[in-house]
Amino acid sequence: MDLLPNDEQTAIVDAVKEFLVGEAPVDRLRAHGEVGNPDAALWPRLGELGFLGLGIAEAQGGAGLSSAEEVLAFREYGRHLISPAILALTLAARVASAAGLLAAPELLAGTMRAGLANQRGPADLRAGTGVFHLIEAKGAELIVAWDEDGAALFRRDDFTIEPVRSTDALVSLERGTLSGAQPLAYLSAADDAIHDRARLLIAALAAGTAEGARDMAVDYAKVREQFGKPIGSFQAVKHRCAEMAIRTEAAWSLTAFASLAFALGREDSAFMATSAKIVATDAALKNGASNIQVHGAIGFTSEADAHHYLKRAHLLDQLGGDLRRQRERLLDMPSAL
Amino acid sequence: MDLDFTAEDRQFREDARAWLMANVTREPRPHEGRELREYDLAWQRKQYEGGWAGVSWPVEYGGLGLSLTRQLIWFEEYARAEAPDNHLCFVGLNHAGPTLIAKGSEEQKAYHLPRLLKGETVWCQGFSEPNAGSDLGSLRTKAEIDGDHLVVNGSKIWTSHGHLADFQELLVRTDPDAPKHKGISWVICDMTTPGMDLRPINIMTAPHHQHFVQVFYDDVRIPLSNVVGDLNDGWKVAMSTLGFERGTAQIKDQIRYAVLVERMIEEARARFGGNSPLSKDEIGSRLAQLRADMAAARAMTYMVVSRAQAGIQGSEASLMRAMVGEVQQRARRLALDIIGPDALENPEDDDRVFYYLRSYSITIAAGTAEVQRNIIGERVLGLPRG
Ligand SMILES: Cc1cc2nc3c(=O)[nH]c(=O)nc-3n(C[C@H](O)[C@H](O)[C@H](O)COP(=O)(O)OP(=O)(O)OC[C@H]3O[C@@H](n4cnc5c(N)ncnc54)[C@H](O)[C@@H]3O)c2cc1C
Repeated sequence: MDLLPNDEQTAIVDAVKEFLVGEAPVDRLRAHGEVGNPDAALWPRLGELGFLGLGIAEAQGGAGLSSAEEVLAFREYGRHLISPAILALTLAARVASAAGLLAAPELLAGTMRAGLANQRGPADLRAGTGVFHLIEAKGAELIVAWDEDGAALFRRDDFTIEPVRSTDALVSLERGTLSGAQPLAYLSAADDAIHDRARLLIAALAAGTAEGARDMAVDYAKVREQFGKPIGSFQAVKHRCAEMAIRTEAAWSLTAFASLAFALGREDSAFMATSAKIVATDAALKNGASNIQVHGAIGFTSEADAHHYLKRAHLLDQLGGDLRRQRERLLDMPSAL
Repeated sequence: MDLDFTAEDRQFREDARAWLMANVTREPRPHEGRELREYDLAWQRKQYEGGWAGVSWPVEYGGLGLSLTRQLIWFEEYARAEAPDNHLCFVGLNHAGPTLIAKGSEEQKAYHLPRLLKGETVWCQGFSEPNAGSDLGSLRTKAEIDGDHLVVNGSKIWTSHGHLADFQELLVRTDPDAPKHKGISWVICDMTTPGMDLRPINIMTAPHHQHFVQVFYDDVRIPLSNVVGDLNDGWKVAMSTLGFERGTAQIKDQIRYAVLVERMIEEARARFGGNSPLSKDEIGSRLAQLRADMAAARAMTYMVVSRAQAGIQGSEASLMRAMVGEVQQRARRLALDIIGPDALENPEDDDRVFYYLRSYSITIAAGTAEVQRNIIGERVLGLPRG
């Protein structure tokens, strides 16, 4: 038993970190302007480095590693507020590889774009019907959707699309309706627990987002002075930062634990993945809010990055069902003791 | 990262489970008094005789000399088997014992450690004073050297189970002129030494529930050979003790509470079942959140053990402690909300109200929630001191 990364995993984390620090510092989002993000340019490079198929079998063109390595990378993506298209690519590559689609190698290489379809009303993926939010789907050829029964790949053209303004202005958001489209590929949950894998990856993004918000608040509390002292020396601020640290410790410890339970196929893996999504998105939401408060007025502006963490947390919460839905699901599961 | 246990670890778990299944005492645990002492010591003795005491303690003092992982497994199985809390042995097994292992002399270790494991002695902790709580370093109970003895005068308070204990880990000021943290010594105090006066203190769970005592010391003579570590180095010795509180023994609590939440879910279903599904109810939503939080508490404890195994010594364990205290209080409160108006009754044979009221101590004892947050802010996050 060991929740810390081993040498090989540390090497992976270091490589992702190095890449993101150089290519995707959080202030890229400010430089980019008000809407959208420049992250699509990262996919071919991440693909080249082999990060887009971390959890996919070698025989299918992936790196043949487990959900543990995937969550380690996704935690870093979360910290850097990387576009959620990274989740779309990872899940789409999984469905495409399992189905042997021609698109699979391109998705793994990051040369084909994929977006997410997140349910906003009733849907039937096999029948290709339902109402969705399309996230980061502008310019994407493929769109991946999942529910408790399985995951499906559609073409962008399969949807009737209506543009809307996104709360998280860093991502493109549209409404999409499917009315009887045949999925390009369908992966049943009986063959691959892709819904729990998605929960884990979202939990890891959320844990990283919560950590990013914590770090931003703590850094500011060390340098911003009022009453002749750094504000971090006031307990009201210090304790708020401590709360942020407690939440990130809970979020990451549980996400790491859950990813290992999942990799081992343990009986409690669905329970743990759902718990991880709850604890991590809750941490991201609360840390997002605390970070704004610690910054004072500047935290309320769009000139500082604080609001991005909060808005991203809301997006992650909604992906695959929000806290309320996850709690309902968790309560109906058998005990994991 | 790895959640897999080795084949030997798994065998150890199975053996532990089988032994616990066959041997856990099912008699209800008395809430206080000599009966409580006898009960806890008997159960400790049984564990020793079964070959399960001191899993990670050195073999030469009666322990099993096994890894922290095995210690963790033992505590997990212990809690799953719903073995009794054994709280009277807590200070001995989780503070005094580990401190002696780390800092004690050969004589001290040879005398005390086997007795602790065998369930022969109860220890209590004499750290807090009426004017030294969170600011423990300001303690004033003084000890002057007289020949080969220390002569102690002053008072300690909140000494849990002091009236039932044989020995006390006692912090005294041996150099009044040294800076606050430099003049303190850690001594073993025999509770039968003349000059000690114990005043019982009742706690808020019910009238006459006695949990701790105030101790008055009037020229209490303690042999100098009872000093653990060096004279005036007691602060460092004590800090090494407090660290043990945050280690593997925590997993027992985590699982105990997770079991409690499962019971609460069953009870809530039984009470509210029929009308609408529990998952749509506010109580259901809070129960689900607790389930997730209990899973997180367990994972955080694994993280603490992982760091300890890797030799990473930091203050990160306070993250787990701070989280767990708040979640445990929330669980006890929810248990009351499930029973509704019945929470106004506090019967002897149902401990829901007892434990709800008890839970208020979780964020005070062993470092308050606020002090934990100071430690996290300053030592984990590097924020400036106030
Ligand atoms: C059930 C129980 C069992 C105990 N058992 C033992 C035992 O066996 N042996 C023993 O030695 N002690 C024991 N204690 C004592 C315990 O360690 C102290 O109660 C604790 O350290 C707090 O000290 P205090 O009660 O004097 O509160 P105080 O230190 O007076 O604190 C009062 C309030 O002020 C806050 N506060 C104080 N300083 C700060 C600060 N710097 N920043 C922010 N807030 C602050 C506290 O958080 C608290 O809310 C026990 C306590 C309880 C409740």
